[in-house]
Amino acid sequence: MIRYLLFPLLLLLLVIVQITVLDLFTLGWVGIEISLAAVIYSGFHLDAFRGCTIALLLGFFLDCLTSAIFGLYTFLYILIFYLSTFVAGKIYAEKSSLIALFTGFCTLLEGMIIVLLYFILLGTDILYAVPKIFIPKAILLGLLSPFLFHMFHRFEASLHATQTRPAQRI
Amino acid sequence: MILPKKYRSLTVAIALLIISFSILSYSAVRLSETGLLRKMVLEIAAPVEDALNRSLKGLSDTWNRYLFLVGKEEESRRLRRENDVLNDLLNSYREGYLEGVRLRKLLDIKDGLERRTVVARVIDNDRTSLFKTILINKGTTDGLQVGLPVLSHQGVVGRIIETSWHASRVLLLIDENSNIDALIQRSRAQGILQGAGSAGCNLKYISRAENVQTGDVVLSSGLAGVFPKGLLLGLVTGTSGAEGGLFQKIDVASTVDFGKLEEVLVPLPDAGPKP
Repeated sequence: MIRYLLFPLLLLLLVIVQITVLDLFTLGWVGIEISLAAVIYSGFHLDAFRGCTIALLLGFFLDCLTSAIFGLYTFLYILIFYLSTFVAGKIYAEKSSLIALFTGFCTLLEGMIIVLLYFILLGTDILYAVPKIFIPKAILLGLLSPFLFHMFHRFEASLHATQTRPAQRI
Repeated sequence: MILPKKYRSLTVAIALLIISFSILSYSAVRLSETGLLRKMVLEIAAPVEDALNRSLKGLSDTWNRYLFLVGKEEESRRLRRENDVLNDLLNSYREGYLEGVRLRKLLDIKDGLERRTVVARVIDNDRTSLFKTILINKGTTDGLQVGLPVLSHQGVVGRIIETSWHASRVLLLIDENSNIDALIQRSRAQGILQGAGSAGCNLKYISRAENVQTGDVVLSSGLAGVFPKGLLLGLVTGTSGAEGGLFQKIDVASTVDFGKLEEVLVPLPDAGPKP
């Protein structure tokens, strides 16, 4: 029981570390969005309930702690989680190159949707951010994602090894 | 209504997306009060963020200080190098200025002389040996010859005793072998100024009847034709006229500081008008 109480706090800590510490590694140039990699990992390896909860919580925490429009990351993370779940059923999601490519694609998709939503909802044109921020971010997170997936897997295994769902190929 | 299990997951996904998008759209158009959950998240996150940022700031400050010190060290080294270069430059300018001042003074003497003159640089100063001499960097190719007087802006230095093509040796006024016809400016009494080594010079053959006082100016008399008339030789520092004999013993100190002599002027023998 205590595990379920601590887990949201762990996710919150992940988001806090992401928005404070990790920015230093890239000198504030692009953020390393580990939370997005965690959402994709959840889509690949966890069941719908647990994965969706993680995506919701991570999105919500990010909405709370960043200056984005409230609900933006919640919406995006749910969308990406279901997209990952859908893709996980189609490909063999243990391959590093596929993980990297899909994570890069999702990061870019996230950026494009943010640009689109800002334009539709606020009338603000932030298209410049695509080449300047989102493409480098997609490349960076894509390259890091196999390592991050490995870390998530080890963490998950240490928490509840018997309940994990291996990636399937259909 | 109970949905088939096949569509349940899809329905939940669509429902969640619609709800989250609605929240997003609502937030985009309206500024709402911060909800309880958000407040709680902020309350929990704020101290953690603060602690992390403090630690990071400490690390960052330490790193920046280190970089600052490294930069300062490099800057200090660069400034020291620049300082050395500038000091050298300043010294050379100062030397140039002082040389100019000295040459200006020599030029004043040169203008006062009717003969043509040669400016020479002192290249050796041998005042510790028995003979008080200096070496200058001009010789016979510049028209110098044995016997010519050597002057500085402070007065008479001595006369040339040896010459080569590009160097000459000058016997100083204070050398015991130096004898110059002199007169006392105030009384016009004439005598011979003889070198006395480190003690300076003695003015000889001045009658006891002459009134000679300490501080009297001694000039060249121009009698022997070696030194032009009226050049400053020295100042009387003491007399011993009370002693027996026909003449007074007069101590004279040269006005030239031989230790600091760097340039001298040599008037050439008469061979036509000055250009």
